[in-house]
Amino acid sequence: MNDALSSAFTIIAPAQISIALAVSAILFGLGLIGFLCRRNMIIMFLCTELMFQGAALAMVAFARMRMDVSGQVFVIFILTVAAAEAALALGLVVLLYRRRETLNSEVWSELGES
Amino acid sequence: MVPLLFYAACAVASAGLLLLLMAKAGTGEHGRAKRVAASLIGLAGIAWILVLIVQAIPVPDNSLGQLGLILLCSFISIAAAVRVITHHRPVFCALYFVLVVLSGAATFVLLSAEFVAFALVIVYAGAILITYLFVLMLAQQTPADLNGSDAVNYDSIPREPASAVIAGFVLVAVLGGAVFGADRSPARATIDQARAIEGAWYDLAWMPRTLTEQARRVDPTVIAIVPEANGHLLRVQPDHSALVRVQHSDGRPASTITLPPSLLPDNTSRVGMALVTRFPVSLELAGVILLMAMLGAVVLARRTVESTTTTASRESNA
Repeated sequence: MNDALSSAFTIIAPAQISIALAVSAILFGLGLIGFLCRRNMIIMFLCTELMFQGAALAMVAFARMRMDVSGQVFVIFILTVAAAEAALALGLVVLLYRRRETLNSEVWSELGES
Repeated sequence: MVPLLFYAACAVASAGLLLLLMAKAGTGEHGRAKRVAASLIGLAGIAWILVLIVQAIPVPDNSLGQLGLILLCSFISIAAAVRVITHHRPVFCALYFVLVVLSGAATFVLLSAEFVAFALVIVYAGAILITYLFVLMLAQQTPADLNGSDAVNYDSIPREPASAVIAGFVLVAVLGGAVFGADRSPARATIDQARAIEGAWYDLAWMPRTLTEQARRVDPTVIAIVPEANGHLLRVQPDHSALVRVQHSDGRPASTITLPPSLLPDNTSRVGMALVTRFPVSLELAGVILLMAMLGAVVLARRTVESTTTTASRESNA
């Protein structure tokens, strides 16, 4: 019988956690930059998914650091919210596209009836 | 000292990203040279950030291989994320996002979160991104539009790239600076490890049939687990193994056997147990959120069908 601990229960090198956390911060920042500077509405929502991805990576890294699965459970809920958000946001984008025949978000910079 | 260098590395990477965003307007040979130079500056900044992190924290020799894999995955996901926000064709942005998801899933596997990794690939790369591609297809610009007026170049001209990059730089610098201030003493890690293993054994005790099967791997004659006097099914030992009292099929009296740590439940069982024992209300709420999103999507779609049918009937009347 093999007495070794599975890899999920061994103490991980802190550098790996740090790298995962730094990458999650960078992904979140890139998502923010993309959301602020892209004009295509679909790409803007894609950038919010990029931010979700960064948050999920941080959750999994902390879960691995504490060897606790709560972080992974949280990622499952993030996936749920991301799926709901994608369904609604894309429905809205299609509605807006039917009205103005363009995906440019600047067309909608003035709110009001058109 | 280290945070200052980290801020400098972040600034270099942001400068590269800013140049990359601005250079997109230029086309031809000159524009390509500018793009290559900007990418090189950005890559140098990212590499500097990663090197700083690896240098600041000592790495045991036996984890160098895994560290290399994590570095590779991080590099791929960051590069793909940059392409997501700089590529001027939306379909390619979506495909590069698939690459971000795949390399993120690889990182999850390296961090031993296997279930979440595969859920991510199935749900994100398989479902959400396909929805995005469908919507991109529905809302496609016709070539006649693209040759027309000035408004059609909105995909290649970023809006306020400088302010956006500065906001992103501040966010990453503040978040990333926290990486260097974290306290991760080995004593704390040992305590976490002991608690996690104990929790995983008690997860297994919630599933008596699985526990019996695991005990049967140690001793094939086991037919049932006998609870201890205090009601627990097992006792966790300091060496991470567990003791269970079992009945045997060959008529021997009940005896105590040792389950080795290799019989601990795997990642999927632990996530499932946590979902239904620790977060049952959240699980129900997630179902409510999905139902509401579905209703919302139905309402949105219904309105569009009505508007198109009314315009169609108006045209047919005219």
